[in-house]
Amino acid sequence: MKEREFPKARMDCLTRQFEDEVLIYDPIREEGHCLNSTAAAVWKQCDGESDPSQMAEALSRQLSVRVDRQVVQLALEQLAHAHVLEEPEASVKAFSRRTAIRRIGIAAAIALPLVTSIVAPLPAHAASCVHNLQPCASNGQCCSGLCLLNRCVGG
Amino acid sequence: MRRPHLLYSDLLQTARSTSLEHVLEAFETDLHRYTAEASSKRTFLHAGVVGWRGRAIVIPGRSLSGKTTLVREMLRLGATYYSDEFAVVDDSGRVHPFARPLGIREEDSYAQAPCSAEKFGAATGVGPLSVGMTVICEYQKEAHWQPIPLSQGQGALELLSNSIAIRSQPHQTFARVHELARQTMFFRGPRGDAHETAEQILNLSRKRARRETA
Repeated sequence: MKEREFPKARMDCLTRQFEDEVLIYDPIREEGHCLNSTAAAVWKQCDGESDPSQMAEALSRQLSVRVDRQVVQLALEQLAHAHVLEEPEASVKAFSRRTAIRRIGIAAAIALPLVTSIVAPLPAHAASCVHNLQPCASNGQCCSGLCLLNRCVGG
Repeated sequence: MRRPHLLYSDLLQTARSTSLEHVLEAFETDLHRYTAEASSKRTFLHAGVVGWRGRAIVIPGRSLSGKTTLVREMLRLGATYYSDEFAVVDDSGRVHPFARPLGIREEDSYAQAPCSAEKFGAATGVGPLSVGMTVICEYQKEAHWQPIPLSQGQGALELLSNSIAIRSQPHQTFARVHELARQTMFFRGPRGDAHETAEQILNLSRKRARRETA
């Protein structure tokens, strides 16, 4: 079977649009991601049929500014790292954000792509809890998850 | 030797203490968590909430981030009490009261003592409010609150990271967080003194409301 050559956005994630940002929740990996405008624009171009150069051209036309291929590469690298592209991921040549900024130059016409991620909290982590050495009657009350001799310990 | 009080969840013993008060606290904690996680009609976010001039101010944050202290100071300045624990969000992104007694931490201790909102001269909210402002801040000694606006996407991500049921009810949680985030302004920045910050937050909210009506 031929491996997918070009990046394709995963379709099994929950997504919402905020003006030019995109919020993604991945129910399989239980992670949330916020794509800034540039990362979101690149992600929307990930149809599995376009290479980074073609995506850069399409984005340049769409945004009416020149979008460098390296900007697309940087976005793809971050999107792959966030696992919001289908596997097998496109062979994205990795280079650091710092290197990218140096190559692209600080006078880029658009914002550099940025993907911010969180891991979805466990219910117990997203609620108030009792801290160490404070009285408790159950493990579930303690931030550490351990109530020993009616005091929270550990953690 | 005193016989302990025991709490069972079905066949599982979940709490044991000679102090009835501690066992009842454990029961209440369990009940709140269960409600927050199992509710399908509302989404529970870990946050403090007050009402101010007809809109809600939401302060998401984990335990020990200083939510309750900030809520208490806003109540002293005339805000209406909604919750110091959960922002309860409906399908249209509005926030409902979850007005349990405030869990005020005792001086130099992590222990909490329950206090009613009335003790701080505040009324308790009864109806849902749309969210005017969401403030993400953590206490830092000697910090002065100098908030920076946060984009709606980044703000929504913060709300997701404080949602109780995102893992078990991703669709409903995600949709309600989106609705809430669409109608609010997000600000982020460390805060120092709670009273000073509460004043700043309410002033900022007042200015924004004036700007909206102008």
